[in-house]
Amino acid sequence: MSGSQQATDTDRYAGRRVKRVEDARLLTGRGTFVDDVVRPGMLHVNFVRSPIARARITGIDISEALALDGVYAVLTAADINPYVHEQWFSLEGRHAPDTPRPPLAEGEVRHVGDPVAMIIAQDRYVAEDAAELVIVDYDPLPPVVDYATAFDSSELVHEAYPGNLVGQIGGRPMADLAPTFDNAPHVVSETYHQQAYCAMPMETRGIVTEWSPSDGTMTIWTATQSPHEVRGFCARLLAIPEHSVRVVMRDTGGGFGQKVLPLREDMCLMIAATKVPAPLKWIEDRQEHLLAAGQARHEHGEARMAFDDDGRILAATIDHVQDAGAYPSPNPVGSGIAVGLIFPGPYRIPEGTFNSRFAFSNTSGRVAYRGPWQFESVARECLLDVAARQIGIDPVELRRKNMLRRDELPTANCNGMPYSDITPLETFEQALEILDYDAFRREQEQARAAGRYIGVGTCTYVEPTAGASALYGTEGATIRVEPSGKVNVYVAGGSCGNSLETTVIQLTADALGVDIADVSSIQGDTAVTPFGGGTGGSRSGPMTAGAVNQTATELRGRILALAAHLLGGVPVDEVEFTRGVASVKGSPEKQVTLAEIADTAYFKSGSLPAELSVGLEVSGRFRAQHLMLWANATHVCTCEVDIVTGEVKLLRYIVSEDCGPMINPNVVEGQIFGGTVQGIGGALYEELAYDDAGNPVTTTFMDYLLPTAAEVPTIELGHVETPSIGPGGYKGVGEGGAIGAPPAVINAVADALAPFGVRISRLPLTPATIVNLLEEAAQRGAAGAAAAAGAARTAVAG
Amino acid sequence: MKPATFEYHAPTSAEEAVGLLADLDDAKALAGGQSLVPMLALRLAVFENLVDLRRVDELRGIETRDGSVWIGAGTTQATIGRSESIGLNVPLLARATPLIGHLQIRSRGTIGGSIAHADASAEYPAVALALDVELDALSPRGRRTIPAAEFFTGTWSTELEEDELLTGITFPVWQGRAGFAVEEFARRHGDFAMAGACVAVGVGADGRIDRCAISLFGLGPCARRATEVETELIGTSPADSDADEIGRTAMAGLDSVPTDLHGSASYRKRVGAAMVARAWRRALQEAVGD
Repeated sequence: MSGSQQATDTDRYAGRRVKRVEDARLLTGRGTFVDDVVRPGMLHVNFVRSPIARARITGIDISEALALDGVYAVLTAADINPYVHEQWFSLEGRHAPDTPRPPLAEGEVRHVGDPVAMIIAQDRYVAEDAAELVIVDYDPLPPVVDYATAFDSSELVHEAYPGNLVGQIGGRPMADLAPTFDNAPHVVSETYHQQAYCAMPMETRGIVTEWSPSDGTMTIWTATQSPHEVRGFCARLLAIPEHSVRVVMRDTGGGFGQKVLPLREDMCLMIAATKVPAPLKWIEDRQEHLLAAGQARHEHGEARMAFDDDGRILAATIDHVQDAGAYPSPNPVGSGIAVGLIFPGPYRIPEGTFNSRFAFSNTSGRVAYRGPWQFESVARECLLDVAARQIGIDPVELRRKNMLRRDELPTANCNGMPYSDITPLETFEQALEILDYDAFRREQEQARAAGRYIGVGTCTYVEPTAGASALYGTEGATIRVEPSGKVNVYVAGGSCGNSLETTVIQLTADALGVDIADVSSIQGDTAVTPFGGGTGGSRSGPMTAGAVNQTATELRGRILALAAHLLGGVPVDEVEFTRGVASVKGSPEKQVTLAEIADTAYFKSGSLPAELSVGLEVSGRFRAQHLMLWANATHVCTCEVDIVTGEVKLLRYIVSEDCGPMINPNVVEGQIFGGTVQGIGGALYEELAYDDAGNPVTTTFMDYLLPTAAEVPTIELGHVETPSIGPGGYKGVGEGGAIGAPPAVINAVADALAPFGVRISRLPLTPATIVNLLEEAAQRGAAGAAAAAGAARTAVAG
Repeated sequence: MKPATFEYHAPTSAEEAVGLLADLDDAKALAGGQSLVPMLALRLAVFENLVDLRRVDELRGIETRDGSVWIGAGTTQATIGRSESIGLNVPLLARATPLIGHLQIRSRGTIGGSIAHADASAEYPAVALALDVELDALSPRGRRTIPAAEFFTGTWSTELEEDELLTGITFPVWQGRAGFAVEEFARRHGDFAMAGACVAVGVGADGRIDRCAISLFGLGPCARRATEVETELIGTSPADSDADEIGRTAMAGLDSVPTDLHGSASYRKRVGAAMVARAWRRALQEAVGD
């Protein structure tokens, strides 16, 4: 029995490095992205955007633009905004408290890049010519640029929000923890400031909307992570039936959270399509993307930990403030709570609490970005390294002392997060072993003696995946064995490079027992696929596996029943069915293929007993059984810092991760590589920066610096595969890389510079920033030495 | 990010090109397009007429002449990077080439485009300045030769008239014991340098420094020479030179050093001093080495 089970396991496609089925079309330039969609008579949209951070609009003159050859319409808020019927996201629900989000700026512009008018023209060139001819009169108002001081500003981004406070949320009062902190042998605190940076998908945002007035239907092609979210949103926006909207996405060139929700420009295209007799296309260019596709990561927080004499953590708190920008999508409070909830991370922390506040500012609105709560890891892991230096203990030893062990699970952290099936210590030890930590410390000592500064940093985190929120709590699949025996599996889709097509085909081939070459997948078209939440929240692996397994189990039952009949009426439990061939156990010579079974199911229904179902198509819907599935990982990074130029060169980068059994290691590793590079970008390169007047200063890739292959070392991987309590034991893996990388890099830099007494509290770590830190530390050192000398003199004099 | 409308012209001779530049209103020469095209797309630059030089064959080529190497202005950076003759005869140019952008950029970008565009952070203007090249220019008024020292006049500005075309660059071949190095610091591989330095140094029969050129880039409105340090170094013994001191001296008195998001003027000077020192060490080692 166990022998045959093993044979089945090695036959499974799940767990294998199956080549991506997407690659043939993507690598030969045959993908279909939004800009590849061309419709008859299609017109092109370009937005007139505010050049000022905050101003009252006192007049808009569109006459010159409208007179330009090739311009069909110029629409302003008065033409668009009144047609918003309902505006809310399925992800959040109808009754969730929401923040303002008008399609076009009305009365007041609230950030540079705020869309003020939309040009509809024969092509994008003319549309951009016309945008220069729209004359907008602005009466500038003092902007609230720095969210960190927004609560104290007398200026308001939105009238309805006193103190620019979007909202706040927290745990037990900080004061409750005072006795613990007051009596602790060691208390460590630091306030970390993280810069704004954001998702930078290779394919920017984009949408084509085509309204058919004769039957009142809308067809939308868009770059999205969730076609069904877009469909429902559009139906509510326009007050048309949901089945009158069809959303199609084939390939989306990167989402990273930014494309989870339709944004303001999407609303404009949806509404405008019903006003003009032509399909409309808007493709965001990179400059627009950097101005208006949203920002993330912009937050700061005071992290505090209390330790006993042995370095055991007694308590941990974080007081956190996040920038919402002018028009966040969605309201950031609901997801922002995760920063505080997960702040304790993979450590044994008896008590703690958190507080998060969210501030409006006159900058681009906050949107989701891969691991939106990632600041918890930055604050915690960087503070732990500070603590290690302060207490005088190796940072690895400090973590070993405090990290949760398998035998302590399941458990809940001090803020109530229920952990299970995680292996933080295992990934930690595995990553350190890959590095050879002790050897690195020896090398570091020798390097320092030679005037070279190398350092090592780690980050261990736990991550909730496949969260069972209202939209994300179920996932559907339809599997159809076609009359020829070929298989199509339909899932909602939303793949943005995360290889959902390949994964689904592997899962389906395994669950049905057919050859993978016989399975194809149809995704991303709301007209034909089951309703589903799309890509988000690191949910696709587990939730799709649940949907496919549940559906395939029922379909396989039907296949077996038909096979039993065709094999001469043997009992169903005597039928074996693998790789699309059924046979009777013990008599392999007698076989019937899936093609023959399907042929019977569709074309020979008359020959079948009444109790057997005809056709071979099943739809199923999986319901998440758990609130979330926990994944975890450790990132370890080593670097060398040039103390003259401040340049950081990453030497080695190691990730050990546990996302449960891997459906396809290539896909898992691709997710880790991509996320890690984004995290490295956040630590060292990327910044969506504004000057004091609220002007964005990083509006091209000359200034918004993404790490390239030249800046990133080979990422070495280790895997620990601990099954979750979810379907197949799978866990999500989409977001973690972007969470774990920044703290590992920051800690490595801090470690390299430890001999200088440098303390890092502001990101990113640009070369100039590092030089400043070194100079400040030198001044402190000099001042400290002078003070010590002064004290010595006083002592002598005394 | 779509350019405004322009008329496109594609002459096949340099004479024709300068004729167009002189006759057309608001005309601009288009070489490899690696700076001009993005500026057009962002509408930071708008021209009514673009005169594309890609079909002008006479602007391309590398010729070894008596004691010098002539490079046609339209020669791509990638061609220069592959040239054995340049590697042998103009090592500083060969060493600076891989620092320009990325291979795709170098496959289109030209030496003439880079020098005529005169970006303050670009490598080729600094190489041209350090090696005292001669720049051939053609206009409807005829040909002239401009010494590198007179060519760069400020931010993105040169001695060239609006209807004047850079046609070729003549690089002197240094004889005898000499060393060359270029060092730059950029945020990422391929980015414009925040600060950089070229060093060319020659050592005479008496073992003393007899030729010396230090040029700086990313440290002012355009490439510049550190003339004072150079003068001090002539006649000194390589063993006596203090690279860090040379770096610091090269930065002393520099004005108009840029400040931006990526670094202040004082940061740039700190890095500039280090680049000079590092380039000096490498160049000198090559000059005195076996």
